[in-house]
Amino acid sequence: MKTLLAVAAFLAVCAPSLATQCHVNPVNIPKEWITMHRPCRDSMRRQIQMEVAASLQYLAMGAHFSKDSVNRPGFAKLFFEAGSEEREHAMKLIEYLLMRGELTSDVTSLITIRPPERKTWDNGVEALEHALKMESDVTKSIRTVIHACEDDNEFNDYHLVDYLTGEFLEEQYKGQRDLAGKASTLKKMLDRHSSLGEFIFDKKLLGIDV
Amino acid sequence: MKAIISAVMCLLAATGAFAADACYQDVSLDCGQASTSLALPRCNAVYGEYGRHGNVATEMQAYANLHLERSYEYLLSAAYFNNYQTNRAGFSKLFKKLSDQAWEKTIELIKHVTMRGDEMNFSQRSTQKPVERKNYTVELHELESLAKALDTQKELAERAFYIHREATRNSQHLHDPEIAQYLEEEFIEDQSKTIREIAGHTTDLKRFITANNGQDLSLALYLFDEYLQKTV
Repeated sequence: MKTLLAVAAFLAVCAPSLATQCHVNPVNIPKEWITMHRPCRDSMRRQIQMEVAASLQYLAMGAHFSKDSVNRPGFAKLFFEAGSEEREHAMKLIEYLLMRGELTSDVTSLITIRPPERKTWDNGVEALEHALKMESDVTKSIRTVIHACEDDNEFNDYHLVDYLTGEFLEEQYKGQRDLAGKASTLKKMLDRHSSLGEFIFDKKLLGIDV
Repeated sequence: MKAIISAVMCLLAATGAFAADACYQDVSLDCGQASTSLALPRCNAVYGEYGRHGNVATEMQAYANLHLERSYEYLLSAAYFNNYQTNRAGFSKLFKKLSDQAWEKTIELIKHVTMRGDEMNFSQRSTQKPVERKNYTVELHELESLAKALDTQKELAERAFYIHREATRNSQHLHDPEIAQYLEEEFIEDQSKTIREIAGHTTDLKRFITANNGQDLSLALYLFDEYLQKTV
């Protein structure tokens, strides 16, 4: 017992020198190059969360149109792909923050998963119009980020604003036009042939010409 | 008359004695009736009592949700290893791959849930105790992050075992070979490979860390990251 205590005491005293180091100690690098300001950074973080939420809402749309009682595989494909695109948008924004020297801390809190708000849609047009509304909200939100990043009195973040304007707004406007076109075409067909119209449109989305 | 037949049908359905031609009977009953609508409630994709007994159907929904959550956690790990301080492109690539895989599996599972005539519930959780997530952080060093990934992959694999066990119970109400087969083919086989791979990485790192009285540490982590960049 006594020897055991002695060994334990010895270990306790020597512990720091015996400890296994599994990682390299952090180093300090000059930080003048990290120039993003807080309001801009925070709005970018919110934008990432918004893209993630949109990806989940699209998954719910894909799930709805996959049901046996709905049976619209073309719509399901469209929305599952849209969900993956939103996830990629979130990844692109994250890549940008990393390039600017961000995300060295508070990374875990960047994304929270919440179940999508809406689960059912009456028909394809309603879902397309909901998707269009979601995209308009995302576009509006990107404009808010742009404001936050260029209206800073001390630091106009030209490059991020250019990136958001050139890449993200461009993609948003193209995507919105595409959804609006699809909704119009479908709605015109539904005018007289509601169920046949949606059936044919769904197969068109699958790449099948009926 | 129609009401009586419907009542008998409902009773039969409730007792679990499913007529083999239930959908056909719905059609026979409803077509030609003085009504402009067709309900046909039993013309659906549900068979083998999926979702009626046991918890396989809800566990499948929960399994999709688990993949979704883990996918975004892996995405954040990939991000963390790609910041200028950690700067481990190989580790980042490994986590990005795990994230992509979990995301694809999420969509596959949702499709499978609906293929069996059920709907997806994004709030559904498993009855199995989840791995402790309190104080969860992706901001871990190299070996810690591999350890966490190994535990997470085992959680996913063991959950597949659990659902498989529930689906292969020897009971006419619970036995679901379709789910068992699906899990084996699309999940169980690949999961064993991923687990072995990550376990192998921890073995290598463990040796590098202790070798040469810890003097190899910084160079070993650098080289191992380079190795991951080339092989992931």
